[in-house]
Amino acid sequence: MTGRVIVITSGKGGVGKTTTSANIGTALAKDGYKVVLIDTDLGLRNLDLLLGLENRIVYTIVDVIEERCKLKQALVKDKKNPNLSLLAAAQTRDKSAVTAEQLKEICDTLKEENDFVLVDCPAGIEQGFQNAVAGASEAIVVTTPEMSAIRDADRIIGLLESKEEIKSYKLLLNRVRPSLIKSNEMMSVDDVVEILSCPLIGIIPEDTGIITSTNKGEPIVNDENALAGKAYRNVAQRILGEEVPFLDLDEPKGFMAKIKNAFAKLKAKV
Amino acid sequence: MEKGFVENGFIIDLSNAKNTTQLVFELSSIMEHPDVKGKNVCLKLGSLDLKQSQLLSIKALIESMDAKIAIMDTHSEQTQASAESLGITISEISGEIAPSIVCRPEENLEEEPVIVKEEGKTVEIHADIPLPQSPVETKEGIEDIYEEETAQELSEVIPSEHFGGDFESLATSEGLLKPEETSKYILLDTGDVLPEGVEENSVNTETLPTLYLNQTLRSGQTVNYEGNIFIIGDAHPGSEIVAAGDITVWGILGGIAHAGSLGNITAKVRALKLNAIQLRIAGLYARRNDTLNVPYVQKTNEFTPEEALIEEGKIVIYKKLRRD
Repeated sequence: MTGRVIVITSGKGGVGKTTTSANIGTALAKDGYKVVLIDTDLGLRNLDLLLGLENRIVYTIVDVIEERCKLKQALVKDKKNPNLSLLAAAQTRDKSAVTAEQLKEICDTLKEENDFVLVDCPAGIEQGFQNAVAGASEAIVVTTPEMSAIRDADRIIGLLESKEEIKSYKLLLNRVRPSLIKSNEMMSVDDVVEILSCPLIGIIPEDTGIITSTNKGEPIVNDENALAGKAYRNVAQRILGEEVPFLDLDEPKGFMAKIKNAFAKLKAKV
Repeated sequence: MEKGFVENGFIIDLSNAKNTTQLVFELSSIMEHPDVKGKNVCLKLGSLDLKQSQLLSIKALIESMDAKIAIMDTHSEQTQASAESLGITISEISGEIAPSIVCRPEENLEEEPVIVKEEGKTVEIHADIPLPQSPVETKEGIEDIYEEETAQELSEVIPSEHFGGDFESLATSEGLLKPEETSKYILLDTGDVLPEGVEENSVNTETLPTLYLNQTLRSGQTVNYEGNIFIIGDAHPGSEIVAAGDITVWGILGGIAHAGSLGNITAKVRALKLNAIQLRIAGLYARRNDTLNVPYVQKTNEFTPEEALIEEGKIVIYKKLRRD
């Protein structure tokens, strides 16, 4: 078996790389595929928190590289889904503890026994980015409809194009707010795609439920009712090669819909 | 009518709400209160008509706060029908201060307010006041144990929880609940984690040198010392303390603590508040229970000093009781 190694990157920080990694990984594992998530954000790890696995980490990627443990020992199994496992970053080290070759070797070993290896890339274009991209053959570029994020995404796409190993890259537009697009206060999806001239793999609406799910350590794809969760499930389907239409993000109208909205907002407050 | 009690519960009176929106608004502002967590909610709904789907949403809202509906009071027939289809018990809730609520008439018939035992002191709680977060499980089995033990000498240190491979049998023999529900730490199956050439020993940690640190240990910071470590301050999540001897944190311990890192099985971890994400003593590793759901750093004025050590191949936590 040779799995696909996909790097999730953005250039700018805070646009949702880690959230995207956790959710796509969970969605693919739910579909029965074997998935390994690699956190390459050494020193600022967060992926374990989003998955609620922080308390289970004994060995990290640095322990594997420095041969204090075997690769298998360092893989932390998800609480719910045995198909999903995490290779955590070391919190007490920095990006220089790992080289691109070492990460490529880990990716190559992992893809032999897994369908998908998702690499969560740190922000920036320095060593951390170079490491994360080294083992990947595909990339997902996460961006939000803001000028600063788009400029950084543009820079990242340029860097990805110059890498021979990256065979394809797709754009994931995160934190889209249809109401702001309607009032011309936010760039539309079409604008962003036109600026970046990059194929789109998903549109994720802004969802306050993300905050709750992050704090709980439970990816939002596990919430059947959340719109962002549905959008992430669709992205997973598109990664698998299925044609899924993009979600209609217009806010629902009507009395019951308003109540449901109110509930969603209330839940998010916790 | 027989009178009963809802344990660990309180009444939410929404009978003045004129429409569903108002009801949801009022309910949500009450449910936002952190003390609501884990409580049994008694809903007073008045004469408002609620469809099954609307009631289901309300139920979901309450459950999303980790609370649950114990009983419901309503004058509307439609709401009553909706509740029945959802399996919610309908009962009359009287507005007295002491909860005279019919809940489980087969048990607990005395007319007394809800009483929560909290480490040696007894708190009387009236139903219209939200319950304070009790550090002690108020589930029946546990409560009994505490009742018994607080009756003994208070200054004595008593084991609060036992963890280990055979927890299940231990739990049943002591009348505790299932480990997932009660234990603060769960042993990880890590295999042999001691580095090569290091063997289990039981050196008296009092003979080792001690490192004193007067600072907050932040995420990503590590302290490693071949002796005891004493920290005056908090150790935040993401930090790591590794000591060959004992670890003592005069503050909140939220990161990883590894005592007896060179195989000393008599090493101990102590903290004013023991919230460590992982506890490691010699070759035994234990993770914090997922169900605890502790916030990032729990700043608090309530401290219950605790001490973790190995006993019979298990990590045991002793809780120091206060005399109030």
